[in-house]
Amino acid sequence: MDISRREFTKFGCRIIIGAAAGATIVESIATMGAAQVESPNKDYDWNEHLWGYVVDTRKCIGCGRCANACKLENEVPFDEPVYRTWIERYRVTREGNEETVKIDSPNGGIDGFIEDIPAKEIKKAFYVPKICNHCDNPPCVQVCPVGATYMTEDGVVLVDYEYCIGCRYCIQGCPYGARYFNIEKGTADKCTWCYHRITKGLLPACVQACPVGARKFGDLKDPESEINKILDKERINVLKADLGTKPKVYYVGLDREVR
Amino acid sequence: MQPHLKRAFLILVLVIIGFLFVRSFIVPESFGQYGWYRGDSVAELRDIPVGYAGSTSCSGIGNECHKTTYSIWVDSGHKTVNCETCHGPAEKHVIDTRIMPEPANDTREFCGLCHFESAARPVDFPQIDPETHGENLKCAYCHNPHKPWFL
Repeated sequence: MDISRREFTKFGCRIIIGAAAGATIVESIATMGAAQVESPNKDYDWNEHLWGYVVDTRKCIGCGRCANACKLENEVPFDEPVYRTWIERYRVTREGNEETVKIDSPNGGIDGFIEDIPAKEIKKAFYVPKICNHCDNPPCVQVCPVGATYMTEDGVVLVDYEYCIGCRYCIQGCPYGARYFNIEKGTADKCTWCYHRITKGLLPACVQACPVGARKFGDLKDPESEINKILDKERINVLKADLGTKPKVYYVGLDREVR
Repeated sequence: MQPHLKRAFLILVLVIIGFLFVRSFIVPESFGQYGWYRGDSVAELRDIPVGYAGSTSCSGIGNECHKTTYSIWVDSGHKTVNCETCHGPAEKHVIDTRIMPEPANDTREFCGLCHFESAARPVDFPQIDPETHGENLKCAYCHNPHKPWFL
C-alpha cells in the first residue's frame, strides 16, 4: 500500500476525532444513566423538591439585614465588597420631561443608605433585593471548564470548592453579577440558597432575617407551599427573561428600570 | 499493512491507554455520580454547620429558656422580626448556653436601618425623621424593642 503524507494525516486525524467522539458518547451515556439515582443524603431526598424564591419588592424596606445575615451565615468576607445577596436602591428623578434613574448599593445595603437626594425631588424610589437566580439553564455552569459548578436535582446551583480552579469564567458568565471571587478560599463563590440549611428543613438565612417578609422561599413541587400560592395569585416577573436563563427567583412588583 | 502505519497505530493505542490510566488516578471516584461534577461535594456543602438557629430555638418548641421575652414579642408589632435579626446568629448558644452571643446593637442608627425616613420605603411602613423625633435618645429609652408600643 502506497500512502501519501496527506492521506496519512487525514486518516490519523479521523481516528483521533473518532476516538474522542466515542469517548464523549460513552461518558455521556454513563453519566446520563446515573442522573436519576438516589439522593446523596439519606434523610433528605432531592428528587422530592424543587426550590424556588420569591422577592416582593413592594415590601422591602432596605434595612440590609438579609445581606448581613448572609455574610455571617456563610462566612463571606466582611471587608471585601463581595455579596451573595445585596440590596439595590432605585431613585427616579424628573426634570421637565427628562427622567434619570440613580441606582446605588453602598456595601450591599448592610450599613444602610444615605439620603443624599431631597425627598421632594424624587419622583419614585424603591429597593430591590438581588440574589443568585439559580437559573434552570445556568450560563455559569455551562462555562465552567472543570465541572466545579453544577445544578443539583433540587434545582440549586452550587460550587465545588475542592474542584474549582479559580479561573473566574463563571463570574464573567453570570448575567446577574451574582458570583464573586472568594479571596479566602481562592475559588469562585456564590449563593447556595443556604443549601446546608434548606436540606435540614430550615429557611435560608436571608429569608429568616427579613423583618418584613419581602423574601419568601419554598418548594415549587409542593402545590400547598407559600411561594406557589404567591406565584398563582400575584403578577410576577423574573430578571432578564429574554436571556433564556429561566431564573427561579420570582419578583413581585418589579419596575421596568430593574435589570 | 505497512510497518510505519503499524507503528503509528501502536503509538496511538499506547497514548490512549496512557491517557485512560492517568485519568483514572486524577478524576475523583464520585465524579459523574449524578452529573458532570464531583458527587461528594453535594454532601460536603450540606454538612456546613448552621449559624442561625431560628426564633423557635429561643422559646416555644421544646424549651422555655426565654419564655417571658418570647411571649411579649410573639404578639407585638415586631413579631415578624426574628430574634436573630437583631441579636445575631445563635446556634452556638443553643448548643452550649455558656457561649453568649454578642449583645444586640441598641444604637439609634441600628433601629434607623429600618425606621429612619426614606423615600424608597413603603409609605405605610413606620418611619421617623431622626432630626425631629426622640431628641437623640436611644430608641429603647421610650420603646421596648420586643414590643415597640409596650411603653
